[in-house]
Amino acid sequence: MIAIIAWRNVWRNKGRSLVVIGAMTVGIWALTFAGGFMQSFLTSYIESAIRHETSNGQVHHPEFTQDYDIQYNIKDYESILGFLKQSEVVESVTTRSLVNGMISSSRQATGVKIIGINPEEEAKVTALNTLISEGTYFEGISRNPVLIGNKLAEKLKVNVRSKVVLTFQDIEGNITAGSFRVAGILNASSVAISESSAYVLKSDLNRLLNIGDNIHEIAYTTVTGTDDEALANRIQTNFENDKVESWKEISPALVFMEQMMASMLKILIIIIMSALAFGIINTMLMAVLERIRELGMLMALGMKRAKVFLMIIVETIYLSTVGGPVGLFIGYATISYLGKVGIDLTDYSEGLEAIGYNSILYPLLQPMDYVQIVIGVIMTAFLASIYPAWKAIKLKPIDALHAI
Amino acid sequence: MSTIIKAINISKVYHKSTVPVHAVNNLSLNIEEGEFTAIVGPSGCGKTTLLNILGGLDQPTEGKVEVDGTDISSMKDSELIDFRLRNIGFVFQAYNLIPVLTARENVEFIMLLQKRNKKERHDRAMELLESMDIADKANSKPSQLSGGQQQRVAVARALASKPRFILADEPTANLDSSSTNNLLDLMAKMNEEQKATFIFSTHDQRVMDKARRIVTLEDGAIVSDVKR
Ligand SMILES: Nc1ncnc2c1ncn2[C@@H]1O[C@H](COP(=O)(O)OP(=O)(O)O)[C@@H](O)[C@H]1O
Ligand SMILES: [Mg+2]
Repeated sequence: MIAIIAWRNVWRNKGRSLVVIGAMTVGIWALTFAGGFMQSFLTSYIESAIRHETSNGQVHHPEFTQDYDIQYNIKDYESILGFLKQSEVVESVTTRSLVNGMISSSRQATGVKIIGINPEEEAKVTALNTLISEGTYFEGISRNPVLIGNKLAEKLKVNVRSKVVLTFQDIEGNITAGSFRVAGILNASSVAISESSAYVLKSDLNRLLNIGDNIHEIAYTTVTGTDDEALANRIQTNFENDKVESWKEISPALVFMEQMMASMLKILIIIIMSALAFGIINTMLMAVLERIRELGMLMALGMKRAKVFLMIIVETIYLSTVGGPVGLFIGYATISYLGKVGIDLTDYSEGLEAIGYNSILYPLLQPMDYVQIVIGVIMTAFLASIYPAWKAIKLKPIDALHAI
Repeated sequence: MSTIIKAINISKVYHKSTVPVHAVNNLSLNIEEGEFTAIVGPSGCGKTTLLNILGGLDQPTEGKVEVDGTDISSMKDSELIDFRLRNIGFVFQAYNLIPVLTARENVEFIMLLQKRNKKERHDRAMELLESMDIADKANSKPSQLSGGQQQRVAVARALASKPRFILADEPTANLDSSSTNNLLDLMAKMNEEQKATFIFSTHDQRVMDKARRIVTLEDGAIVSDVKR
């Protein structure tokens, strides 16, 4: 009967209850939406970083990553490549030779990371070809083609087909220079690609470095759902002379980003839940104050304080959980819809791309996230009901009966 | 007949203003089983205060109240709630039914608190509503009933718990004269049929005329006590 009374009490002041239910609906909707949005932000960011920059994993000589000394090439790269190509979770593999040097145009010179690549393999691993905004992907230039980022091109004041000179030390320590021609310009959100990299053919770079077929870097991609860390460890145990790293080790910033997003989501949840809690407390206090007489009467008749307390709590939980499922459902519908259609952020994408985001997001929430939200709401409702319920049982029946 | 209530030298003093108010002043009163007693007197003479003390809703400043030999003036708040549930029926001036429950549910509610089973609750509620001539409104909410009808439900509710006595503070103050007569007749009938002990306050002459004992108060003290 307490449950019945509580339920009917919820509907005594329909307007007020509907406001709370509405607030609850909007709150939960906002929560699911924000959760899905942030999740997709993160996923998109990490995916794009893996796709275009780190790949799922890389192999180097253990010393190489420290000072980029070209003598530290990967010794048994052929067996590593063989191993990777055999693995079922590895999608594609590419090899690179690397050297730090200078790039100069007739107007400007600047430091640059020179990356010798195999264009076809590179296209499969990092989709470098998709970043071409002007010119071509190594085509149409017969001798020494180079790709540079748009920012670097601006800085050097060069264009497609312009001549640039790359200068670096070869394996014997001699300063070597090569004359290259810009085949294409890369437009990337990544600062590394757009400002400080020059992509050349590995054969051209290796000839100038005088290092034969040696390579300094292997990058590989894996199929979706692969545990990249476990895979890296597995390769590492097989090839102890080299250093194998997953994207998490290559780019700790991505891991940090993941954690930061999770904390931001938590803060957001706390803010929204607190707002809801205050709304609930306020409404229930009003409901209690309005019913002082009635509550006093119940206690005069012999209703125990514990029961009165319980009644107010149940009433509050009803009030809050009516809006919850509605909000959850609308949130779910929104996420599912946008998850298919995507959110087009093209209008704001300049700023976003600058920090590395894609401009179309596909929000996504895991079932566990919904469960967490439901539990959060019920907990909030319960906590928010304690104060009004406590107020109710503090009433003395005689004073309450006299209150008009 | 046995004595249910013994009020012994009770006083109630309020110190709200600078002058202390003696709402009840060294009053002693016995109520026997089966009585149909009116507490009368002008407004402010202490009727409500007295009934509240007899009902364990308020504590006397001095003296004590015994119900069936138990001193209720020294009981703890939580004990009193339980005591009221088992021993006392209340009828209030403003009806005070639970607005979200139907007439029948209101009557059943008190038996539910007493943990009676469902069938017993239902049967007794319907029986009482019939006795109070309001069974046809069993499924109506209080807001759909007139004042007189609501008060009849309230009396049925008060009787439902099979209390030792029923306290009714000015039960007819908000009713017109025909509803007043009707309610008093029904109360008198329940007094006869169910041997229910009623103590009600009033300042209405027609209501006093129906009582079988009239206790008149003035400034918190009994000035006359007439049995008829
Ligand atoms: N809670 C209270 N605080 C202060 N004075 C009160 C209070 N309740 C009643 N009184 C005073 O006690 C006296 C008796 O009041 P009450 O018992 O309500 O009389 P009645 O019911 O006969 O009208 C009145 O003078 C009233 O003002
Ligand atoms: Mg009074």
